[in-house]
Amino acid sequence: MPEFSTQPFFEVARRLEIRGETGWLAVLAPVTDPTAALDQLQTELQSILQKPARVIQLEPSTFEELSGDLHQPDDDAVILSSGTGLAQEKWRSLDVMRSALERSGPVILWLSPGDVANLTEHAPNIRSFIGGSIFLAGPDGGIMTETERQERLTELSQHFRLTGEEVVRKAEAKELPLEPEFVEWLVLMGRGDLV
Amino acid sequence: MPSSVTAPEGQLSRRDKFRAYMQASNPTAPALQMIEAGLVCEELHHYLFRNLAGRADLEPGSQQLLVGGVGSGKTTELILAERWLANQGHVLPLYVDTSAETDLSSLNSGALLASFGLHLGRWLSNGAGTHIETEELKRSTKESYEKVKRYAYGKNELVLKDEDALRIENVVNQAWDVLGPRFSVQKVPGKLKPPLPPLNRDVQEVRAALEGLLAATKEVHKDVVFVFDGLDRLLDPTKFWSVVHQDLRVLRELKVSVIATAPLSVLFGAGVGQSISDHFDRVHHLAVIATDPENALLRSVLEKRRSAELLNGLLTDSICHYSGGVLRDLISLARDAAEEAYVSERDSITATDIEKVAHQLGTGYLRGLGPEALNALLHLESSKSFDLSQPSNVELLITRRVLEYSSTDFRVHPALLSVIPRPEPKRA
Repeated sequence: MPEFSTQPFFEVARRLEIRGETGWLAVLAPVTDPTAALDQLQTELQSILQKPARVIQLEPSTFEELSGDLHQPDDDAVILSSGTGLAQEKWRSLDVMRSALERSGPVILWLSPGDVANLTEHAPNIRSFIGGSIFLAGPDGGIMTETERQERLTELSQHFRLTGEEVVRKAEAKELPLEPEFVEWLVLMGRGDLV
Repeated sequence: MPSSVTAPEGQLSRRDKFRAYMQASNPTAPALQMIEAGLVCEELHHYLFRNLAGRADLEPGSQQLLVGGVGSGKTTELILAERWLANQGHVLPLYVDTSAETDLSSLNSGALLASFGLHLGRWLSNGAGTHIETEELKRSTKESYEKVKRYAYGKNELVLKDEDALRIENVVNQAWDVLGPRFSVQKVPGKLKPPLPPLNRDVQEVRAALEGLLAATKEVHKDVVFVFDGLDRLLDPTKFWSVVHQDLRVLRELKVSVIATAPLSVLFGAGVGQSISDHFDRVHHLAVIATDPENALLRSVLEKRRSAELLNGLLTDSICHYSGGVLRDLISLARDAAEEAYVSERDSITATDIEKVAHQLGTGYLRGLGPEALNALLHLESSKSFDLSQPSNVELLITRRVLEYSSTDFRVHPALLSVIPRPEPKRA
């Protein structure tokens, strides 16, 4: 059976960042320790998008509550969590209120494994907004291995023709551009404090 | 940004190029924003918006329905029609996305009238009402607006306490200050404030107030056209019909032209087509756009959205193919392919990027399909026949796994078709 692409949370955040405004996507929560993974996603979004990220539980929010929460404020990043999964009826009622969910900031649906089928079956209007942007968080919750981290650092260094030390020095001198690649670089070096 | 940017030459311009493309190819951006940015092809549906607007303008009280699948461009056509009408000068078009204002999942008859009255009342009270010359009309307009607000949002009213109900004769003969403590406050729920309980009040209750507002609008020399978006979210046609039978009938009597959206389910399925044409003066079906390379319409949509900056001609055709002609899928694929190229550090979109995002889209459509549905899809693909009397097949249409190119031409969504597991051939 075909499967969705697995993306580390950093890539998910990077995708939203390049989209600019009003980006929608869905992330399938890992089976093991989804709460810790959700916290990590929230942290990555805040770090890369340079804006606050909130988690809103879809259940038991009413139309009025959800609509109000999403627009106060309207431009931060919002993770809509389905918790352990939503009933078909809840998906239907969310679908008819899609217009009330539209906002200028990014929307990330945090779904349990059974939610994608219900999303497609019972919420075609929301699914249409998500399109093909459904990603698996992966069993490690998106955390890179040490080898992956080193590979990425080398890639960044070669691309920008800079060493890690030079990047840290520029960040300390506040001379580093606020581009997501440099934010990523600092985070991967364990210097997220300089972001 | 500091002048000591150390990114290699061209790096920031690459990011800017992708960003500009992504913003132009944003499938979730508000339609109005895209229209104002000049990113919409007005000719896409043969200028349908002009037909909608022209009929509404020339025939007060006419009712037209725009039926189309999810992501087919209905909202864009409605907003174009609204703008066309506004440009005529003598018409007041009121565009309302009902699904953003109220919880449609518990929609009652009367809610659309409440919404209409609120928008008209707001328009009159926001300056347009100053053109009303007679004091009497000004006063009655204000009263009508207040009535509509009470109808929409509910009100607090005084009701007799139980013990006083037995002494009603005494109550009616006493002064207010004596009576006050004998009353209790009871909430009468409004039309738009969710949750919306079933409502038994006759929609005629608000008709007189709407007539008052319309009289004031006429004074400002404006005919009103009500453009209702969002009713297409009512995938269950019974809910759609419950408001059509009540609210739209009153609007017709009041000579208010209506353009409304509806889900595909009201058009397809056993016996529904006839009742639709009975209730509406005209039903416009926004079918899926043909994807063959000879049809340049889809390509022109992408070109308008800066596709040439990241896509060559053949790749553009590939995106058009995988979209199946569903406009939002087309724009999503174009955006997602660019995103894939960007995160893979490429400077433009490649065939690999397109295959990857088409696979993602198809996998989304595939989820939730059981063996029977998969067999139905494979049967459609091989036989080209599709039985719409089967409710399960109508579901496939509503969820966009099957696309309607005409009333006789149905096909499996190409992105879905590319990921459907095929049964292994039987060995001899």
